[in-house]
Amino acid sequence: MVLQTALLIGLVIFSVLAILLKDLLKSAISLAAASLLLGIIFFRMNAPYAGVFEISVVAGLITVLFILTIALTGGGHDVRESKLVNWVFPLVFVAFIVIDALVMKSLLGKVPALPSGTEAGVFGDVLWKGRTLDLVGQIAVILAGVFAVLALFRKRDKHD
Amino acid sequence: MTPKMLLLPVLGPAVLAVVLLLLPRTLRLVRDVLAVGGAAALVYEAFALFAVKDLRLTLPWLGLGIDFDLRLYHFSSFILIALAGFLLLIALYTTVKMKDAPRGREFMAYIFLTAAFANGAVLANNFVPLVFFWEGLLVTLYGLITIGGRATSGRTAVKALLISGFCDFSMILGIGLLWTVSGTATMSEISVEPTGLAAAAFILMMIGAAGKAGAMPFHTWIPDAAVDAPVTFLAFLPAAFEKLLGIYLLARISLDFFKIRPGSAMSLLLMIVGAVTIVLAVLMALVQKDLKRLLSYHAVSQVGYMVLGIGTAIPIGIAGGLFHMINNAIYKSGLFLCAGSVEHRAGTTELKKLGGLRRDMPLTAFGFTVCALAISGVWPFNGFVSKEMVFHGAVETGYTVFAIAAWIGAVFTFASFLKAGHAVFFGERTREVPAVRESQPAMVLPILVLAGLCILFGVYNKLPLTLFIQPILEGHTEAGAHLDFTSHALAVLNPIALISIGCLVLAFLLHRFGLRKFGKAALASEPIHNLPVLHQVYDLAERRVFDPYEQGVKVLQGLSTVLYKAVDRPIDFVFEKIVTVTGAKFTGILKKAHNGHYANYLAWCLAGLVILAGLIGLLAK
Amino acid sequence: MIILFVVLPLIVAGLLPLVGKVSRRVLPDLLANATLLFLLVYAVVAGRALIAGGPVLQQTAWLGEAVNLRLALDGFSLLMLVAVSLVGLAASLFSIDYMEHYGAKANYYALYLVMVAGMNGLVLATDLFSVYVFLEVAAVASYALVAYGLGPDELEAAFKYLMLSVVASAFLLAAIAVVFGMTGSLEFAAVAAALKELNAGAVLAIASACFLLGFGLKAALVPFHAWLPDAHPSAPAPISAVLSGLLIKVSGVYAMARIFLNVFGLTPALSTALMVLGAVSMVVAAFLALGQRDMKRMLAYSSISQVGLVVLGIGIGTPLGIAGGLFHLFNHALAKGLLFLTSGSVQQATGTRDLDAMGGLAKRMPVTAAASLIGSLSIAGVPPLNGFWSKLIIIVALVQAGHPVFAVVAVLASVLTLWYYLLIQRKAFFGKLDEKWAAVKEAPFWMTVATVLLALLCVGIGILFSSTVTNWIQPAADVLADGVQAVTGSWGF
Repeated sequence: MVLQTALLIGLVIFSVLAILLKDLLKSAISLAAASLLLGIIFFRMNAPYAGVFEISVVAGLITVLFILTIALTGGGHDVRESKLVNWVFPLVFVAFIVIDALVMKSLLGKVPALPSGTEAGVFGDVLWKGRTLDLVGQIAVILAGVFAVLALFRKRDKHD
Repeated sequence: MTPKMLLLPVLGPAVLAVVLLLLPRTLRLVRDVLAVGGAAALVYEAFALFAVKDLRLTLPWLGLGIDFDLRLYHFSSFILIALAGFLLLIALYTTVKMKDAPRGREFMAYIFLTAAFANGAVLANNFVPLVFFWEGLLVTLYGLITIGGRATSGRTAVKALLISGFCDFSMILGIGLLWTVSGTATMSEISVEPTGLAAAAFILMMIGAAGKAGAMPFHTWIPDAAVDAPVTFLAFLPAAFEKLLGIYLLARISLDFFKIRPGSAMSLLLMIVGAVTIVLAVLMALVQKDLKRLLSYHAVSQVGYMVLGIGTAIPIGIAGGLFHMINNAIYKSGLFLCAGSVEHRAGTTELKKLGGLRRDMPLTAFGFTVCALAISGVWPFNGFVSKEMVFHGAVETGYTVFAIAAWIGAVFTFASFLKAGHAVFFGERTREVPAVRESQPAMVLPILVLAGLCILFGVYNKLPLTLFIQPILEGHTEAGAHLDFTSHALAVLNPIALISIGCLVLAFLLHRFGLRKFGKAALASEPIHNLPVLHQVYDLAERRVFDPYEQGVKVLQGLSTVLYKAVDRPIDFVFEKIVTVTGAKFTGILKKAHNGHYANYLAWCLAGLVILAGLIGLLAK
Repeated sequence: MIILFVVLPLIVAGLLPLVGKVSRRVLPDLLANATLLFLLVYAVVAGRALIAGGPVLQQTAWLGEAVNLRLALDGFSLLMLVAVSLVGLAASLFSIDYMEHYGAKANYYALYLVMVAGMNGLVLATDLFSVYVFLEVAAVASYALVAYGLGPDELEAAFKYLMLSVVASAFLLAAIAVVFGMTGSLEFAAVAAALKELNAGAVLAIASACFLLGFGLKAALVPFHAWLPDAHPSAPAPISAVLSGLLIKVSGVYAMARIFLNVFGLTPALSTALMVLGAVSMVVAAFLALGQRDMKRMLAYSSISQVGLVVLGIGIGTPLGIAGGLFHLFNHALAKGLLFLTSGSVQQATGTRDLDAMGGLAKRMPVTAAASLIGSLSIAGVPPLNGFWSKLIIIVALVQAGHPVFAVVAVLASVLTLWYYLLIQRKAFFGKLDEKWAAVKEAPFWMTVATVLLALLCVGIGILFSSTVTNWIQPAADVLADGVQAVTGSWGF
């Protein structure tokens, strides 16, 4: 229980850091750390597949892509910011967390739920047979991604 | 006469309009013949339908009480005749006046399309077709004004469309409420007490009807259109069609849908609107320097008499208001056609540039004189009869203040027409007045027909009163009430008529006074113009301070700017920085979002989420 | 074989890059448009017959094994399919000429078809998570399409759009997770049945709020709208047409309506929330539109406003209100699509979107001007066009349901709408022709065909509105008005 809470708090902190930090590199690493913690949480909740995907994709692939991009663009130079908007997000965020915590606390144990049904099956079966439509969707997303890359990186001979 | 014949007045002009639009310019003669012939056929049809008295066509449409329901009865058939008659006269006039106008073909098509929609609106017996046809008039209104082709025509057309559109939307709301209250959308079955929700419905529908007719404060586009739109349009829509339609609906609202009693709050409201319109509009008319603008303000002012008459809820007053509707259409249309005739030959309608045209344009001058005397309420023209009836009704309600307002209006009406007639047709002919001759027969004929009708309806007022007006009032008055108005219609020896004559004399004196002081007829109204308080008021009016449309526009523009600056720009500002800072390179865009910018929006989302969750949670309890 | 609506565009999209290597223009044009035409014909011709006896459910078998490919076609889905195919076809016809100078047409069509497949899949799905997946499919394709021109404005707009959409996705997922946790299932029918048994008040309120944020952002309701005025104008014109005309309605309004009315059941709390959101969007966006000088930006704000009206209508919950809302959804898809296409014609001819720089274009581009006028009048609600009827029905429904204040607000917003549309018409098309536009020509053939097609539909539906409503809108409205019954009754597999 304590460990779970600590992991969750850590997750939130690293996520917020990822968007608050000014240094690009530190920000990317924050993201990786957050994802790592999330993966661990998944493992502890008996969702090994979710954990594996999370860590390999976010903490692995995406972080590598970001770091490569930062290195290639010589990035990392600090960004000018407008002062007056600095405090809005933290303020609202804190308010949100407080309200959220209070609401969730009052709902603890009171969330109505049907008794959980029988296990649907092995992960592989569920993925292939149980949720085939989603697989079609996934194929479509991959196609979209491929075409997006092809379209956005195309050689431009004439553009208006 | 099968019920399906009721579709002819609606479909016939519409089809003809399309044909007229498609005929090439070279076939102008064919076009003119078709137009006049088609209008004549419509007049014939209208008379034929009038003879039939009662006819009804019901086609089931959408269910839920919405049917395509057309009903011919004495009131609607009377209006049909009037609409058809004016269409014929205007079509004839247009063949000459708009001959060389760049969009003359469209004009001819639009007036037929307008006639089709108007016929449909008059015949409709169910709210949904009524709204459909009523709204359709907006389109032709816009198109007709833009044909004026002046730099400001587009702006005026938008203004007209928006003001009319606002009135129409108000009417739709009122109809929705009335539908809910009465439970049916069939107009002939509705009759409710005007209390509570029904009162709100009454007021909303009144706005729609009075706005269409051009009462204050929905009139401000008419003087602008007087300058920006073709004068034939003015003779057609604001003078004739809109009055007929608007007052028709107002009468239906006051007599059929709601039971308005004399002295009730609704009656008072109508009378106030009528009286205010009469006085304010005629004061504006008095000081105009252009004949068309002067006439347009009078058009607004005369609506006041109609609204006042109907608002009295007294039989003679209502009859007077309705009679005034048709009379006004006749002489107002005639006056505009005269102005058009002058413009056609002299090229201008500014009062100070004209003078002494009666020698060269005798027929036009005659027509103008007759119509001007009629509008001023001089015995024995039709205007006298209907105005007296309205005065009688106003006095009978016990609130003499309205009668006094009407009389004040009469004074200034006559004064301004003395000025106009004197400045244009009578008086000295100076050198700067261009050489003119009488207009072509096709233009003069409608004017003379209308002038003739002024005389006919005045002297032989028994005809229109018994044939058209009195049947409308049957069933709306207590049994045994005196429904014959004709006997004393022309009497001048009663106190009310004497006061009216006194008003005319007063107007004459005012005119002479102004003339002596300023010399030119066109300046005869200056004494009034320069009166201490009135002067300031006139100046403000010239600057459009009193125009609710213009003020509304300013407010909305201001509001829009405020919203734009306070809400939209900051949001955009938030994101502007990203691109300008990282540069336009494609890879640069893939950087992470910055603090305070994207985060801000996220903050809003979270706040919105909390609020929504709270709202739904609270309401769910 | 309603699976075709999803699978056919995907297959053609997969083939297009290969085809594109062979033929740069003709074959991709032909393939893409033929696909959309086929889908349109199939939907219109076979659709009504299919659903005549109740919703069509399909569970297919692959390679001999029964797989869980569950799709459902009922009146509401069919209406959306027809709308998607219709506007999609018009925009893709338009693209034949418009996308010439953007290059890589085969890729463009591939992305376009993937987006269409995503929208179709969303509409046919019977499962909360499938809705989410196909929503993402359409969204990802649209990000790339918004950025297609590769100019700085387009890239920035696409980036903004993407970043704000992921917020939506996140909250949608959260809501789905909550619902799953409570009911143990994701199927519409099972969830609806389960929720009836549970007394889920507060938690359901939170889940509803998260759904509202997610779908509201997709539908661009105020205050979640800020991405739209930048994304829609920067995208190429046919994409703007599809985004404003279809995507915000399919992934926003359709999903919202389906879940709130058919799965959760429309409670008074939800109804109030929807009506307030709708009314606020309607008014705020109308005011914002008035202040714009960029033609497409004005149209974008107008989309926000009109979607607000649609949501207001559906939120009333009465059969008449729902019918009015759905009819307006359909009409707006046609009319807004038309307007964005004509704005594309204007932009291509003059090179600018600034209203103050245009003027008198009607003389040089009469067909485009006429089509644009029809679209404007339709959205403004002028008879005899289609928009008049849908607005009238919504206002009447508001009054009948006892919401006079909302009715007045709707009427006032309509007046504002009429105003700014007349502004566009006046500034761009009417008035004196500026000399610099003296040489512009009417839009190329396919662009004109597309706009004329949509304009004719606006007029036709306006005149034949009665049969359109009874044949297409009423079945859809009935499904929603049935509430939870519609899914628990006949959708249980």
